[in-house]
Amino acid sequence: MTGLRVRHRRTVALDSVDLALGTGVHGLLGPNGAGKTSLIRVLATVAGPSAGRVELLGRDTAEHRALGEVRGRLGYLPQEFGYYPGFTVREFVSYVAWLKEMPAARTPAAVERAVARVGLADRADRKIRTLSGGMVRRVGIAQAIVNAPEVLLLDEPTAGLDPEQRVEFRELLRELGASATVVVSTHLVEDVAAACTEVTLLDSGRVAYRGTPDTLTALGETSDGPGDHPIERGYTAALRAHRATEVLR
Amino acid sequence: MTTAGQVLYARSRALPATLVALAGTAAFAVWAAARLDSYLDPDRRVPVVALAPLLAAAVIGVSLSSPSDELDRTAVRPWWPRRLAQLAGLTALAAVLLPVAVLGHPETFGPPAMIRNTLGCTGVTAAAAALLGARLSWLPAFGYVSAVYLGSAGAHGSAVTVWAWPVQPGAQPGAWAAALGAFAVGGALFVVRGARAEGPRG
Repeated sequence: MTGLRVRHRRTVALDSVDLALGTGVHGLLGPNGAGKTSLIRVLATVAGPSAGRVELLGRDTAEHRALGEVRGRLGYLPQEFGYYPGFTVREFVSYVAWLKEMPAARTPAAVERAVARVGLADRADRKIRTLSGGMVRRVGIAQAIVNAPEVLLLDEPTAGLDPEQRVEFRELLRELGASATVVVSTHLVEDVAAACTEVTLLDSGRVAYRGTPDTLTALGETSDGPGDHPIERGYTAALRAHRATEVLR
Repeated sequence: MTTAGQVLYARSRALPATLVALAGTAAFAVWAAARLDSYLDPDRRVPVVALAPLLAAAVIGVSLSSPSDELDRTAVRPWWPRRLAQLAGLTALAAVLLPVAVLGHPETFGPPAMIRNTLGCTGVTAAAAALLGARLSWLPAFGYVSAVYLGSAGAHGSAVTVWAWPVQPGAQPGAWAAALGAFAVGGALFVVRGARAEGPRG
């Protein structure tokens, strides 16, 4: 994406964002209101930029004809995905596969595989409304991966997951990132340290830092800012450095 | 999967519950109309002709919501054919069921007036779903029809036949034009834009 600008009424959610993301797991970090969800929604093609250009899988998303093809090759977990309470896990994931126009012959196996990958195979026929919050989140992840997406966009995927589930989810992220471009928006710096290959830090709609978990950790090791772990100190140091630069502009 | 997908789509829009609610609305209208002794004066049917379509439109309007709007927007499938089929199908069903309550007297408050009001109320509700969201889509039609019902009794002039369309006799061309216009505009708004997103969004 180049020169990306997103406005919500009078506020600018993203401004002059230039990013190129390849295969791997990309962590999106930043404080509340930094623009993480806005960026994910633009990449998911549910919101349009007010300026700039977004190219996904080699296609310009401003071209209406490209949208169908791109959407069939991406997976998306919104912060609030608003499931249908009367659906079972299997029905909901099947419904999303149908929305993605997956071939009918491939769908049942793809649904079983996606549900199994999030550890819900034994609950596939349970109504979603009877599941715990963490399990509902895993249903959301299952629908996002049912079409084996080449671009996977996850907005706060670990919210509500218990520590064991988070560890398993990180493993799943690493697996998916081996062959797809995975973008994960999160507040949990330790998830980024454990599962991501690259880190992008957003602040007030701008890219404040780009690097790897290792470079962010190294930044924290030379910083005496707040944080219990080096990567948390690195996060704080990178934010402060960016804000100091912005003030000087 | 295509058939299964269509069934899942219908369930995602709560269509089974909507069909039951429409049938219940029609039964209620039949029951209410039977208590009006309208064989003495067909004008006694006005409350049923004005309010039953309003209830049916509210049922249809609420069914236009999508709890998973954010995911729906990433669908490869174009939405307009499904929206059109849903709105047209439910409106047609209501337009078939409700007139049973007011058979006869087509020139005053019989089946034509009931069909006209079903189209008009559904059109206003569909427009509200697109502009306000499906959950409150019944509100503008409810307010408008209530205001017309209470305020049009002493009104005069040729424009009355247009703005007071919910309480006009079935043979009134101005009322038909207004109701059909509302259905066309509201239906087109909903089919093109879908129901406005509701609820929290990150």
